[in-house]
Amino acid sequence: MTITFILNGEDVSVRATSGDRLVDILREDFGLLAAKADCRKGTCGKCLVLLDGKLVPSCMVPAFKIRGREVITFEGFVQTVEYEDIRQGVEEAGLETCGFCESGLLLALGSLLESSARPSREEVLEAISSVQCRCTDPETTITAALSAADRRARRTYRRGRQ
Amino acid sequence: MVVSEIHYPASVADLLYLQRENPAILLYAGGTEILRERGTRFVDLPPVIALIDGIQELKSISRSEGFVDLGAGLKISELLAIKKGTLPESLVRNLRGIATPAIRNLATLGGNLATRRRFMDCWSILACLDATIELRDGAGPRWINANRLADDAGKPAFPVGALLTKVRVPLERWTHGTTKKLGNQAWPSDESATFSMIARVEKGMVESIRMAWAGTTAFRFPELEGRVIGLRLPFDPEDREAIVEGFAEAAAELDPNSAPRFARIVDATLELLGK
Repeated sequence: MTITFILNGEDVSVRATSGDRLVDILREDFGLLAAKADCRKGTCGKCLVLLDGKLVPSCMVPAFKIRGREVITFEGFVQTVEYEDIRQGVEEAGLETCGFCESGLLLALGSLLESSARPSREEVLEAISSVQCRCTDPETTITAALSAADRRARRTYRRGRQ
Repeated sequence: MVVSEIHYPASVADLLYLQRENPAILLYAGGTEILRERGTRFVDLPPVIALIDGIQELKSISRSEGFVDLGAGLKISELLAIKKGTLPESLVRNLRGIATPAIRNLATLGGNLATRRRFMDCWSILACLDATIELRDGAGPRWINANRLADDAGKPAFPVGALLTKVRVPLERWTHGTTKKLGNQAWPSDESATFSMIARVEKGMVESIRMAWAGTTAFRFPELEGRVIGLRLPFDPEDREAIVEGFAEAAAELDPNSAPRFARIVDATLELLGK
């Protein structure tokens, strides 16, 4: 079957079977390698993407479910102004992620700031529980998230005054 | 590998028609349990599938005097986003314990209740709350108590060929509530289970209490709960021991493996209730 959907802002089509998972389509048909297929049970968080703006593990999304929907991968997210807040927050906190969890962790933080402009420590911990990589310590991740939230608030305020 | 025929029904009526034409059709909403069970590169799915997450009728929320109706197609994250105070706090606590935020963006209330391999998180609290569920099939809509999703042996008994459309949750006042998850949660095994308790205590006396267990088997014992009602807190140690023993014996008849853990958690729950 041919599936048409929006991928990182562009209309795309792909031939897939009902048994294909989104993570494999992204990697094999579009060469988008940030999402990694590891557990294939939705647990590890290495394949996270945004589906219609919601954070989901792409290994748990079958091909037929993306018809007409919008998928944003980490490659698409890094092109956005929202990512810039996260990147700077991460840099300021000295958060060093590994190659496995980076895309999932930063997408999880991006998704959190969309739903909560001033997240609490508990909300940050809850958000990053979608990623089961232990290369970073939670305290540094919380600092990064709160710093990113500050930056976003300042940017939004400045934009509002212009 | 089976190449499935995919349908995208827009309404419950369309879906019921499809179901009548294809009795073996797989109703696919969140699909988290379906894909988790098949951890392979390609997923073998049945030849005919209906993707039902676009059916708006399955996403309704309506609150009336004494209860709230929740569409079975609502995602767990959508339920958690409902205005505070609309759902019973014990249900919210239970929902918050389900998987991760990313999974909760896919998993639905109906999917959580309709699995046939084992009981998932929601059953125990909905059984305690005496929730009812609306089922539809060719014969029309009917309501059954959530407790009836477990058969007499405590095994999953979701009716074959039925479509779960709504969950009706009574809005009674409860003063105490707890949900405990046991065993491996990331990779549910035979040891994984959820225990829920709600109670109403007035002037140091138990007015009402309900406890339910959901794992590979599920059970609730209203007649034993009745023995706790009317007792003063803290419980007399002998009373508590006798009550726990009763629960342990009843559970052992259905699930000897889970009974000791169930008894321990009932004991700990009653002890905490008394403090």
